[in-house]
Amino acid sequence: MLLLAINMTDKTDVLQGTLDLMVLKTLDTLGTQHGYGIAQRLQQVSDDLLRLNQGTLYPALLRLEQRGWISSKWGTSENNRRARFYTLTRAGRRQLQREADDWQRMASIMSRLLGEPGTPS
Amino acid sequence: MTARELWRRFAGALGRGPRRGELDDELTFHREMLEADYRARGLDGGDARRAAALALGGGAQIAEAWHDQRSLPLLDSLRQDIVYGVRVLRRSPGFTLSALLTLTLGIGANTAIFTVLDAVLLRPLPYPDADRLVTVGDRGADGDSTNIGWATMADYRAGSRSFDDLALMRSWAPTLFADGDAEALPAVRVSWNYFRMMGVHPAIGRDFTADDDRPSHWHVLLVSDGLWRRRFNADPSIVGRVVTMNDVAYRIVGVMPPSFEPLDAVRYFNARAELWAPIGYDLQGDSSCYSCRHLRGFGRLRRGVPPGQAAAELDTIRDRIRREHPTEIDAASVAVVPLRRALTGAVQRPIYVLMGAVAFVLLIACANVGNLLVARSVTRRQELALRAALGAGRRRIARQLLTESALLGVGGAALGSLFAVAAVRALAAAAPVALPRLEHVAVDARVLLFTGAVAMITAVAFGLLPAWRGAAADGRESLASGGRGRVAGASRTRAVLVVADLALAMVLLAGAGLMLRTVAALAVADPGFTADRVLSAQFSLVGEAYAEDAAVRAFQSQLLQKLRAIPGVATAALADQIPFGGNDDCRGFHAVGHMKANPEEDPCIERYGVTPEYRRLMNVPLVAGRDLLESDTDTAQPVILISQATARAVFGFDNPLGAQVRMGSATRGPWATIVGIVGDVHHADVTAPVTAAMYVPEQQLTDSFLVAVVKTTGRDATTVAGPVRAAIRELDPKVPITQVAVVPDLVAGAAASQLFVTRLLAAFAAMAVLLAALGLYGLVSYGVTQRTREVGLRMALGARRGDVLRLVLASGASLVFAGVAVGLGAASLTTRFLGALVFGVSPVDPLTFAAAAALLCVVALIAHWLPLRRALRIDPAIALRSE
Repeated sequence: MLLLAINMTDKTDVLQGTLDLMVLKTLDTLGTQHGYGIAQRLQQVSDDLLRLNQGTLYPALLRLEQRGWISSKWGTSENNRRARFYTLTRAGRRQLQREADDWQRMASIMSRLLGEPGTPS
Repeated sequence: MTARELWRRFAGALGRGPRRGELDDELTFHREMLEADYRARGLDGGDARRAAALALGGGAQIAEAWHDQRSLPLLDSLRQDIVYGVRVLRRSPGFTLSALLTLTLGIGANTAIFTVLDAVLLRPLPYPDADRLVTVGDRGADGDSTNIGWATMADYRAGSRSFDDLALMRSWAPTLFADGDAEALPAVRVSWNYFRMMGVHPAIGRDFTADDDRPSHWHVLLVSDGLWRRRFNADPSIVGRVVTMNDVAYRIVGVMPPSFEPLDAVRYFNARAELWAPIGYDLQGDSSCYSCRHLRGFGRLRRGVPPGQAAAELDTIRDRIRREHPTEIDAASVAVVPLRRALTGAVQRPIYVLMGAVAFVLLIACANVGNLLVARSVTRRQELALRAALGAGRRRIARQLLTESALLGVGGAALGSLFAVAAVRALAAAAPVALPRLEHVAVDARVLLFTGAVAMITAVAFGLLPAWRGAAADGRESLASGGRGRVAGASRTRAVLVVADLALAMVLLAGAGLMLRTVAALAVADPGFTADRVLSAQFSLVGEAYAEDAAVRAFQSQLLQKLRAIPGVATAALADQIPFGGNDDCRGFHAVGHMKANPEEDPCIERYGVTPEYRRLMNVPLVAGRDLLESDTDTAQPVILISQATARAVFGFDNPLGAQVRMGSATRGPWATIVGIVGDVHHADVTAPVTAAMYVPEQQLTDSFLVAVVKTTGRDATTVAGPVRAAIRELDPKVPITQVAVVPDLVAGAAASQLFVTRLLAAFAAMAVLLAALGLYGLVSYGVTQRTREVGLRMALGARRGDVLRLVLASGASLVFAGVAVGLGAASLTTRFLGALVFGVSPVDPLTFAAAAALLCVVALIAHWLPLRRALRIDPAIALRSE
C-alpha cells in the first residue's frame, strides 16, 4: 500500500498528504536536515521498498514552507558543501500531531476492516 | 490551500520568494551527494552518475512542478498574456489609439449618464427605510398624489391600518427681518409627527410634540443647520431664543442635523425648507375642511404593505367621508405614491432616454473596435498560425486575444472614467434646475463598478468574435499563403458590423432630429400672451403694517405710480400670480345655473388677481364684453373676466356674459358678474392644453403675495430690474422680493428639460455618426486597398475611372442602404420611448427620418469617396505590382 502511494505521490491530495506527513515526521525525528538527508532517511526506514523520485521532494518542501510548517535557510553540509536546511516550525509540529492522529485512526479502521474474515466462496 | 500558501504563491507570481537558481543549487547538491553515495557503494563514475540521475528523477518535470507550486500557474500565464498583449498593442499604436479613443467615448458617455441616473433615480433617499415613505392625496391627472384637506387626513389617520404614520405639510413664506434686509425664507408648516415619520430627529433641542400642533400653540420653530450657521452664528445655546417673523414671535426649539435633506420642499415649493413650524389646525378651524385642499400628505407604510393596498384602504375611507358629507368632497380615488417616484418621476423619462442613447453609442463603439480587431486578425493570421504550429492550443490563443481585448477595455474604462468625471461636472452645470438630487452626483465606487462591468462586457462583446476566428485559423493555409489573399469570412463579418454601425447611428440621428424639431416647435409655440419686453418681480406684503386691506391697496397704487415713472417702462401692472411664475391658484368655479349637484365637482379654474392694465400689458386679447376698469374697486359690484376655455367648459353654447359666479366656496362669499371673455393662455406648460382661467380685479381681492409686471420700451427688459427693485424698497425696505426675472426666461425655463435632452441627444448623435463614419471609412479603405490590384488591372485594360467608381460604390451602396433601412425600422420602434418629450412633431415624423437618412448617406458617401480617390490616383503599373 505504501509503495503504491509513493508511486502516485503527485497524483492525489490524499497521497500528497502522505508525503507531507512523511517529510514532517522525518524532520521531527532528525531535526534540521537538507533535502538529500530527508530522502535518505525515507529510503532507509522503508528498507528501500519505497521507490521515490527524490526530486519530487522539492515541490513538496516548497509547499510545506509556503504553509508555514517548515522553514529553511542556507547552510553548510557535513562535507562542507552549501546546502539548504529545513526545520520543523511550531505550526509544523502541531500539523504533524494532527496528521499522525488522523493517519493512525484511518490505519486502525483499515486494519479492522481488512482483518474481517471473507465469506467462503 | 491555506490563505497563507495562497498569499505566498501570489507573491511568488509577482517574483517574490525563492528563486529558480536556488532549486538548481539544491538539485545539484542532491545529485552530487547521490553520486558520491553510489561511488562509495562501488559503482564507477558513469554508472554512479546515471543511477543518481535516475533516483532524482527528470529535472524538467521537477522544475515545472516546483515552479507551479511556487506561484499560481493561472495568474502566471495571465501575466504573460498581459505582458505580451501590451507589447502587441504598443507595436500598432494607430490601431490601439483609435480603439482606445472609441472606447473612451463610449464608456465615458455611459459612465457619465449612469452617474446621473444613479444619483437621481437609484440611490436610496437619505432617510431610514426610505422605501416605505410615500405621498398621500387625491389622484391627479398624471397619477401623482395632489393636495389634501386637513379633515380628510385626520379621518385617514384615525381609520387606516396600512401606515405607521401619516403627516401633513403646507407651504409657508415667513419673512425674517434683520440687518436692514428682509429675507423671505423657504419654509414649511408641518404636522407635529412629520420628522418622527421621516425618521429624523433634531441635532440640537427637541422635536415637535402633539401639544405644539394646536391652534395658538404653534409658535415654535425648528431651523435647518444651514440657517442656524448663516443667521445665528451656529449658536449652541439657540434653543429658547425668540425670533420675530411677520410680526409674530416664535420660539426656537431645535436645529435639524446637517445631513437632513428637506427634499419635499424642492418639488413642491421650489426651494429647500429652512424653517419648520407646526400647522396648528383643529377640526373647528376655517382651513380644516375636507375641501380645503392646500396640504401635502405624506406617510410611512407599515412594513410589508404595498402602496396599492394602502391606497385601496384609503379609498374605502374616502368613500365613507363622501357618503357622510356629500357636498364637501368630490368623487376621486386616492394615490399613494412612493416618495422617490413623487420626487423624480418627472425626470425619469429624460434620464432613461439618455441612458438608452449612450448605450447605442457604446454599441457602435463595440462594433467599431470589433471591426478593427477583425481587420487586424486577418493581418495577424500568420503570427497566430505560427503560434498554433508551435503548440499553442486553440483555447490558449483565444485567451491571448481576449486578454488583448480586455486590456483595451480596461484602458478605455480608465480613460472613460476620467472623461466621465469632467462630463458629469458639465452635466450638473447644464442640467435644468428641476433635476432633483443632482448635488449628489459623483463618480464613486458604485459608478466605477458599473464602468468596470460595462468595460468587461464591452471587451468580451467586441473581442469574442475575433478571438474565436483567430483561434479557428487554419494554420497551414495561412502560413503557406504568407498571410495574403482576401478572407471572405472576415469581410462578411465586417459588413455585418458596418450595417449595425449605420443602423445604430440612424436611430440616434432620428431621435436627435425629433428633439431638435421639438425645441423648434416649443420656440414658436404660443403661450397665449406676448412676453417680450416684460419683467416680473415677486414680493409679499406681510406683517402688522399690512394687516388692513387698505394699507395693501395704498401700497399697490403708490408702487404702480413709481413703476410707471421709471424711465424705459411703458406700462406697469400688478398681479397675484402670472403664467410660468411657478405658482398655482386654482379655485372652484360655481356659476348660477351651471352648478353640479355636488358643487365640489364643479371645475377648478385658475384665478389671476390683476390690475386693469395687466390684460393689455400681456397682450391677452379681449374676445367679448368689456375690460376690467379702474372703477372696479372694492366698493363696486364684483366683476370677473373668464377665458374662452372656461366659457366652453362651464357654459357650453350659453352666453356667459352677465352670469353670476362664486369662487372657492359655493355657499359663501359674494357673487361676481362675468363682464368679459378673453383669450386663452398656458399657465405652466405650452405642451399641455390651454388652462381654463379667470381674472379678478386686484382691488376686489387685495392679495398680499404680488407680482409686479412692467413692459419696457426698449428690447431688453432686464435693464429695469434694478429700478423696479429700488421702487419696492423705497416704499418699504422690509418687503421681501423673492424673484425678479424677464418673462421670456420663465417661459423658456418650462422647456428646460426638453432643451437639456435635445442638447445631449444631439451630442450623442454626432458622436454616433462620427464613429459610424470612421467604421465605414475603415471598412471601405481596407476593401479598396485589397482591390488596388484589381482596380489597376481594370484601368490597364481600359476601364474608365467612372466605371471603377460605379463598381466600388455599387458594392458599398448596398451596405449603406441595408444599414439605413435597418436603422429606419429600429428608429420607428424606439423613438416612441421619447414619449411626452416630443412635442409638435410625430415620433415617426417622415421628414425627420428622411433628413436623418439623407445625412447618413452623405456621410457614407464621403467615407467611400476618400479612400477610392486615393486608389484611383495610383498608377496602374504600380497597382498591378502591389501585394
